Amino acid sequence: MDADVFVIGSGPSGVQAAIHAARKRASVVVAGKPSSSSMSGTEIENYFGSPPRPGDEILAEGIALAKSFGAAFLGQNVVSASAEDGRFRFSMEDGTEVVAKAAVIATGISRKSLGIPGEKDLFGKGVSYCAVCDCNFYRGRKAVVVGNDSEAAVSAELMTRYASETHWVAWDAEAEETLARKAAEAGAVMHASKPKAIEGDGKVERIVLEDGTIIPTDGVFIELGARSSADIAMDLGVMPEMDDSVKVGSDCSTEVPGVFACGDVTGRPWQVAKAVGQGCVAGMSAADYARKAE
Amino acid sequence: MVTELNESNFDQFVDSNSLAIIDCWAPWCGPCRRMGPIVEELASDLQGKAGVAKLNTDENQAIAVRFNINAIPTLLVFKDGVLVDTLVGLRPKEDIIAQLGL
Ligand SMILES: Cc1cc2nc3c(=O)[nH]c(=O)nc-3n(C[C@H](O)[C@H](O)[C@H](O)COP(=O)(O)OP(=O)(O)OC[C@H]3O[C@@H](n4cnc5c(N)ncnc54)[C@H](O)[C@@H]3O)c2cc1C
Repeated sequence: MDADVFVIGSGPSGVQAAIHAARKRASVVVAGKPSSSSMSGTEIENYFGSPPRPGDEILAEGIALAKSFGAAFLGQNVVSASAEDGRFRFSMEDGTEVVAKAAVIATGISRKSLGIPGEKDLFGKGVSYCAVCDCNFYRGRKAVVVGNDSEAAVSAELMTRYASETHWVAWDAEAEETLARKAAEAGAVMHASKPKAIEGDGKVERIVLEDGTIIPTDGVFIELGARSSADIAMDLGVMPEMDDSVKVGSDCSTEVPGVFACGDVTGRPWQVAKAVGQGCVAGMSAADYARKAE
Repeated sequence: MVTELNESNFDQFVDSNSLAIIDCWAPWCGPCRRMGPIVEELASDLQGKAGVAKLNTDENQAIAVRFNINAIPTLLVFKDGVLVDTLVGLRPKEDIIAQLGL
């Protein structure tokens, strides 16, 4: 699939970017799940022209508007991205590939930690947030992957190639079916309960689930949500800040020509009004860039 | 450029620097790629005070096992040849310098 502008994120900033890019007659494809937007399930209380209203309603209307201007919504996460020969290439959960002339990072902020007892203290002592980074240290050892989405599925499948025993804890299955099946077929043992605590004396020894299951393990890999904005930014050649935000100029451009960013991912304030304001700028900048790109 | 260590020069580097800081990394590790430039800066800031080097843990697994590394990026800190600190995870340069007490 080809696009002038590819928008990563279906929150207010990505949707507004899609609206403004599509209005400039760019072909626009949007990735991401509206249900994963920070706005979903909230009441937005301070947004221009609107009385306090459910975030999902505002978002649904925004998406309908963007579609009416011709933007296509994939409803899926980006699992990997790359930049080559002035084009940006994205792979989606179901294997769909999109090649775009310009990219807009509108991925919001990612929450990566579980916030359960033992998680912080045992970080680096068996608790890891990056299976790709640390799989090599678990050859012949036991590993537990925690997370509901496709990132966790991919990590679980990866760990089966190293660990003597791999468990996958997912209490709310959101992962793409093929990826989930691959992990199961590779031998990952499934558990459908929320983690309650990570325990061990100076190193990870076990994870306890809410249903009472205790899994003895050497490592716990926490892979929540989608591929992080920091990873996607780096895939595209943009170095994120220490707090994982992406620095932008007044035209919402990043350090890489053709890559723009907007919304919560660019840093505070984390507000809908700022997200759509930057979305407008990023969408227009990306459409202009795509028109000139050959 | 920060020196790249391997099995053949690791011990020698640790022994010949009264303070040695070693950045353990691997190519597929995103946070390690972000740590890279920080370590480069650290090396030039600490010139004369500490020896700073890098270790690719994919290519040097025996050393990783020897120092119990199970997550990267990790900074190994040696004083007079003895491992005194292991700093796990991406962190700003200022934090590292503060941790080292420099
Ligand atoms: C409880 C709560 C209450 C709030 N109340 C208010 C309020 O009253 N007023 C206000 O102004 N703001 C409020 N906010 C903040 C507001 O929701 C955010 O500022 C806003 O949603 C940011 O928009 P965004 O588009 O930048 O990111 P988000 O809305 O978070 O959207 C991010 C999008 O990126 C997608 N994404 C992430 N990773 C990937 C990937 N790898 N591939 C593809 N897509 C990806 C997600 O699926 C999602 O669609 C509130 C937030 C919360 C949590």
